[in-house]
Amino acid sequence: MSLKSIVRELKEMRDGIGSMSRRGGGSDGRAGHGRAGSRHSWPGLWPEPQRQGQGQRQEGPQQQQGRWANLPPELLLDVIQRVEASEATWPARRQVVACAAVCRSWRDVTKEVVKTLEECGRITFPISLKQPGPRDHPVQCFVRRDRATSTYLLYLGLSPSLHGENDKLLLAARKVRRAARTSFVISLVSDDFTHSSSTYVGKLKPNFLGTKFTIFDSQPPPDAVVLPNNKPSKRKSKQVSPRLPLGNYNVTTVTYELTVLRNRGPRRMQCTMHSIPALCIQEGGKAPTPTGTIHSLDEQLSTLPASKGKEPAIEFSSTSLSADLSGPACTNEAPLVLKNKAPRWHEQLQCWCLNFRGRVTVASVKNFQLVASVDPSLNIPAVEQEKVILQFGKIGKDIFTMDYRYPLSAFQAFAICLTSFDTKPACE
Amino acid sequence: MASAGESGDGADGKGVTTITIISSDNEAFEVLEAAASMSLTIRHLIEDGCADGGIPLPNVTAGILAKVLEYCSKHVAAVAASSEAGSSSNAADAAAAPEKEEDLASFDKAFIDVEQDTLYDLLMAANYLEVKGLLDLACQKVADMIKGKTPDAIRQTFKIKNDFSPEQEEKIREENQWAFE
Repeated sequence: MSLKSIVRELKEMRDGIGSMSRRGGGSDGRAGHGRAGSRHSWPGLWPEPQRQGQGQRQEGPQQQQGRWANLPPELLLDVIQRVEASEATWPARRQVVACAAVCRSWRDVTKEVVKTLEECGRITFPISLKQPGPRDHPVQCFVRRDRATSTYLLYLGLSPSLHGENDKLLLAARKVRRAARTSFVISLVSDDFTHSSSTYVGKLKPNFLGTKFTIFDSQPPPDAVVLPNNKPSKRKSKQVSPRLPLGNYNVTTVTYELTVLRNRGPRRMQCTMHSIPALCIQEGGKAPTPTGTIHSLDEQLSTLPASKGKEPAIEFSSTSLSADLSGPACTNEAPLVLKNKAPRWHEQLQCWCLNFRGRVTVASVKNFQLVASVDPSLNIPAVEQEKVILQFGKIGKDIFTMDYRYPLSAFQAFAICLTSFDTKPACE
Repeated sequence: MASAGESGDGADGKGVTTITIISSDNEAFEVLEAAASMSLTIRHLIEDGCADGGIPLPNVTAGILAKVLEYCSKHVAAVAASSEAGSSSNAADAAAAPEKEEDLASFDKAFIDVEQDTLYDLLMAANYLEVKGLLDLACQKVADMIKGKTPDAIRQTFKIKNDFSPEQEEKIREENQWAFE
């Protein structure tokens, strides 16, 4: 065996035998390097059989599964981690969503790499809109109102950018009038507000007086239990479903009250977050965090609590999947209640003031700050009780800022802010 | 004549040890042990005393091996130069350090600017041979190739087939619609 050193020009080599070849294990019979080689996979040499999904596409000549599709998982992980780390802000972050849309293995890896909103502070997939925000700092957004179309658009960002091209639209809402009642339909896109659409995310319904609003989520929150409907007329058929289907789940109730000053003073707001336990704001507490896709049922609640006897815990009309489950979707513990921080009367300025830390600059009755209102018996530290969980207010004509943090999600925060647009004269 | 490859006895007699690496297609490459040791895999083999007569790599072809060894040689030389400059009291040497770093960076950039097939082979070889710097370089290159592309474009570039079911495809399309809005 010639041991003469051979050094070739790179280009020559690249044009030559550049690909891994199956032939030739060591010709001197030296096989098995012990430590080396055994821990690394070689999918290029031993391709995995293709996974056959349902409705497999016709394989065209351009779509042959190349070896890149079988990249070893640790390498794919490394690559996607790099993409996720560098594309931290929108619109570049859509690159991460694109990676999750390439094929199954890429989707699995991407989902593994992307942490929840609370953990990483970054909105990535639509499901991030239903996850609680970070604890340490609020997610800063703004809302643009279009009076002509009664549409409200929620964007990520401090305020509208100069040309608006880089603003990331998170959610859109439209005020819909049916008979004497209005409601808000909330969607992922600004041009489709139909209930049956897959972009439908939830809705907001006021009572007749406009003093109480119910926020419905199209998905049941994780770990939630749906209490039975208290309307006997809806019990058309009994159906025990092992999983809660898509429908409308009452997740929050918002009420407005006049204060003693009636029209001249700030309103009093209270939000009962049925799906969020009050204790979750404690250090180490955990608010319900859905994962999976925004319309997936798989990762959601899969069992109902056992009830006495064989009575089903919920009854659900099978005639309409979009029936409103007006009983709240609850946790088993005391729900979190948010109240608005009372403004102080500024004698010199002759107005009610709240410290919005520069994020709200125009006085408006719609402006508010919500903090947790907790039972003293729960022993939640004062610092947690003072945190402003949701802040909303005007900065210009038809432009408002919305800052939210743990344990609220973007969807809940947006829906609560929308109530501020719809309160009737009885409350103003 | 001392057989090249035996540690401690370089062929040039200067006390610089060289190692012989043999590709899967039986081409032999003689490199500095320091360079070869940039591959943890090879380093372990040397430490285990398996280097006599050359180290065969049944999984790496000559073309790719040449590239990998070129990377290692270049980087090992750069490390040696910078440590020399560090210990030297010569101001000119110290001043040249950042420039040399730039040289290395542009070397890396040109080095990894290869055809996709070669990139794949380099990625696999760097992974197998555990050459961390090269693995990072190759992974970053792949990540850079992904940026700016839609899922379809990514599939086309890497010849990946869409293997989602129609139901999944529907959900994913909405996800993308929202993301690219």
